[in-house]
Amino acid sequence: MKGAAKVLLIIAVIVIVLGAVVAGRYNRLVQLETDVEGRWAQVENVLQRRADLIPNLVNTVKGYASHEERVFTEIADARSRLLAARSPEEQMAANNGLDAALGRLLALSEAYPELKADASFIRLQDELAGTENRIATERMRFNESVQTWNSTIRQFPMNILAGMFGKQPKAYFEAAPGAQEVPQVQF
Amino acid sequence: MGRSKCNIVVGLMVLIFLLAQGAQAASYPKAVGFVNDFANVLDQRSRAELELITQKLRDEQGIELAVVTIATTAPEDPKTFITGLFNEWGVGGPEDSGLMILLSLAEGAIEVETGYGLEGVLPDGLVGAVIDQEGLEHFKKKDYAQGLVNMSRAYANILAGEEFEIRKEKTESGWLSAFVIFLMIVVLLRRARRFPPGGTSGGSGGGHRGPVIIPRTTTRVGPMRGGGFGGGRGGGFGGGRSGGGGAGRRF
Repeated sequence: MKGAAKVLLIIAVIVIVLGAVVAGRYNRLVQLETDVEGRWAQVENVLQRRADLIPNLVNTVKGYASHEERVFTEIADARSRLLAARSPEEQMAANNGLDAALGRLLALSEAYPELKADASFIRLQDELAGTENRIATERMRFNESVQTWNSTIRQFPMNILAGMFGKQPKAYFEAAPGAQEVPQVQF
Repeated sequence: MGRSKCNIVVGLMVLIFLLAQGAQAASYPKAVGFVNDFANVLDQRSRAELELITQKLRDEQGIELAVVTIATTAPEDPKTFITGLFNEWGVGGPEDSGLMILLSLAEGAIEVETGYGLEGVLPDGLVGAVIDQEGLEHFKKKDYAQGLVNMSRAYANILAGEEFEIRKEKTESGWLSAFVIFLMIVVLLRRARRFPPGGTSGGSGGGHRGPVIIPRTTTRVGPMRGGGFGGGRGGGFGGGRSGGGGAGRRF
C-alpha cells in the first residue's frame, strides 16, 4: 500500500513536470511563429507601400514618354498581380515580377534627360529607393525570424513537439536575381 | 546518454550563435552623444551649433537627431550601415521618433535614416530634397561641417512645423542661378525704390525652365552663445527602431 502510493506520487510528479516542460516549449513555439507572422505583415506593409507609389511614378514618366505603352502595361499588370496575390509564396513571386518591370521603367528614364531632371520624378525616385531599402530591411528581419523558427523546430526535443502539433518549416523570402541593387539617385 | 550529447551539441550551437552575434554588434561604434564626429571633420563652432540644434529638438519635440561622421562604413554599404547603427543605438526612444544623418568619407556618401515614428512627417522625397538643397553642394566642396549644420537645421525646422520649399528643378549650374537671383534682387530693389511701401507685389518669375526662387525659411545663426554642452548625453539612446527609410546621395 505504502509502495503503491509512493509510485503514484512519483508518476504524478513526473506528469506535472513533463506537462510544465511541454507547455513551456509549446509556448515558445507559438511565440516564434507569431514572430514570423508579424515580420511577414511588416514585409506586406512595405510591398503595399511600393505598389501605392507606382501609379504616381508611372504618371510622371508618362508626362515625358507617353508613347512607351508597353512598359506601362507591363508594370500595371505586375502591380495588379501583386495586389491580387494572397499567400506569401504568391506575393513573393509577384513582387519579383514587379521588380523586373520597375527596373525597365527606371531604365527608360535614362533616355529622357528632362524626365531625369524633373523635381517630382527625383522625389518619387527617393521614395522608391527608400521603399526598396525598407523592403530589404524587412525581408532580412523576416528571414532571420524564419531561420530561428526553422532551426528551432528541427532541433531535439522541439522536433517531437513540432511533429505533434504539425508545425512545418517556413520558406525564406529570396530576392529575385539582380533585385538586390537598390536604384540609386545619381547626379 | 544520447540526450546529453545532443544537449551539448545544442549548447555549442547556441554559444557559437551568440559569439557570432557579439562579433557582429561589435563592428558599430558606441554613441558619444547626439553629435558623433568619428571622422573629425567638425570644427568647434559647427560642433557646438549641431549640439544646440539636436538638444533643442530633443527638448522641444522629443525627437532625437544623431549626427554621425565616419571614415568608412566598410565592409557594409552606407545604407546597410546606417540602418544597423540606427537600430543598434536605438535612436528615437520608445516612440521611434529618431533621425540619423551619416556622413561617410571613403564612400563619399551622405545617408539619412528616419525612424518608424518620423516616416509620416519626413517622407523620403523630402529627406532627399533637403540633402540636394542644403547639403550636397557643401559636401562636393568638402565643406562637410557646413553641409551637416545646414541639413540638421533644415530637418529641425521641418520637424518644428515649418514648410520646406522644394525647388522645382535642380539648378543647371550654380553661377546661373546666382546670376538669376542677383538680377531679380536688382529688379525688386529698383521697384521697391520706385514704389515705396504699399506698392505692388513683385513680378512673377520668368519662364518655366528657370529655377524658382524661394525665400530661405531658415535664418543664419549668429555668433554662438556659450561654449557648447560638455560631454553630451553620453549615448543616452535606446529603444528606437527604423526600417531602412530615408534617402542618400553620393558626392
